[in-house]
Amino acid sequence: MTGGAAAPTPTPTEAADGRRPGWLASMPGRVRPALAWLGRLTRHQVRFVLVLIGSAWGVVRESMRPNAWRRTVRDEFRLCLSQVVGGGFLSTVITATLAGLMVVSQAVYWLGFAGMAQMTGSILVSVLVREISPVLVGIILLGRSGMLVLTEIGLLTLGGQIRALQAQGMDPFLLLVLPRTCAFMLGGFTLGILFATNALLMGFIITHASGVITTSVWTFFANVLGAMSSWDFVVIPLKFILVGFFVGLGACMTGLLADVDDTIATLMPRGFARGIMTVMVVNILFSLWG
Amino acid sequence: MGTDGPILELRAAQPSFDESGMAPVPVDLRLMPGDCAIVDCRDYARATLFADLCCGMVALASGSVRFMGLDWTALGDRQLYALRGRIGRITRRESWLDLFGTHQNIILQQLHHTTRPTDDVVAEAMSLGQAFGFPGLPLTSPGRLSAADLARASCVRAFLGRPDLLMLEDVSDMLPPDATVALLEAITAARDRGAAVMWFARHGATWAEYRPAVNVHLRLLDEGLFPVRGV
Repeated sequence: MTGGAAAPTPTPTEAADGRRPGWLASMPGRVRPALAWLGRLTRHQVRFVLVLIGSAWGVVRESMRPNAWRRTVRDEFRLCLSQVVGGGFLSTVITATLAGLMVVSQAVYWLGFAGMAQMTGSILVSVLVREISPVLVGIILLGRSGMLVLTEIGLLTLGGQIRALQAQGMDPFLLLVLPRTCAFMLGGFTLGILFATNALLMGFIITHASGVITTSVWTFFANVLGAMSSWDFVVIPLKFILVGFFVGLGACMTGLLADVDDTIATLMPRGFARGIMTVMVVNILFSLWG
Repeated sequence: MGTDGPILELRAAQPSFDESGMAPVPVDLRLMPGDCAIVDCRDYARATLFADLCCGMVALASGSVRFMGLDWTALGDRQLYALRGRIGRITRRESWLDLFGTHQNIILQQLHHTTRPTDDVVAEAMSLGQAFGFPGLPLTSPGRLSAADLARASCVRAFLGRPDLLMLEDVSDMLPPDATVALLEAITAARDRGAAVMWFARHGATWAEYRPAVNVHLRLLDEGLFPVRGV
């Protein structure tokens, strides 16, 4: 461009006349990378939560479809359920025994000491059965079976076998995620009820043996049941079910969404942290809700 | 499930480079029932990707890939997976699940997609296994099988259940000579009942014995898929 007059540079007077000053014009350019970084970070952080919500809906919807429960899916469900319940049985019994010894005996002793023995049932229900049991059962599920599922599916994803399954027309969500999540859900309920019953029973045995409680086991359990509200009869099983559901789903989805850069060394800590977070969030939400 | 039209048809199918890494060149191909196409390809990974393209697993920038008259991109997830159940594949990609025994890996596709009695599926797999040189069906984990036995097992899995399309990647370096004749017989039997076959070969020697029966010969290069004269 020659021969033309040079473009006049804007003066403060012109800026005051309504044209944007230089620093304002360059603002979007400077802010955009920061906003993009913030967006990336936010998306990355909430990605798993969104995946979990979406896949939870997918599991619920697919599980309602009779055609989804074909024999390969049923076989996988059976295998996983026996692994979840069989693998977690002993850990649950031992942990419940220890929890029963600590919580029940201490609660009975100190409530009796304070002259509030009539509160024993409600304290045990609200502390041991409603709050501690789902957390400990969730941790047992995660450690005994969740990490195993995560490793299995993660290795299949990293090894390319998941893509090979898709090439054979087998949907990994249907074949692996649906049956395993349902197995974890049922396993969570089974182990949870086992945990609560065993913890209360062991607590009773110890306190009865030491002479702190003189009532029969039936009276003890009747007191505990009597202290439960109708809401507790809904919330406690629901907590066990949802903890199992989300621990299983989280492990499956973490394995299925492994990146090419991932290794088992990066997947397992991530899966464990997500699993613990899931267990805590489910429990806290119910505690706030209740 | 039969079709009078082409079993597999690629019309100016241009794979998306961003998603697949395949050269974005349009590909045309038409396989009728009973056709056997030999695709010369020296690169195993390229052959696997092309097979994926034919199975609707690679996103397209333009064009279409149709299997049994149905456009992969027009199908929902359920139909898409169900349709892939009609394809038998021998692949060099890691495809064995160590979660199950080899026998379960072999029959998994049939058990998943059909309601055939399990005993029938097992009997057919046993019969194919014996044809390919197994004494029966291998029960051990795939990780414990030799490369030769895995190649035999791949053949059994691909031909099980009368698939309509066979995508056979080159396993000639692993397949024992006694199983090669069985492979050619299985290909012929599949074509006789109306299946189309796409056979990827690294060397001419792989399919030299079958040359008189081949009716389509192609070469897969980075630049695209080209017909080869002289079949």
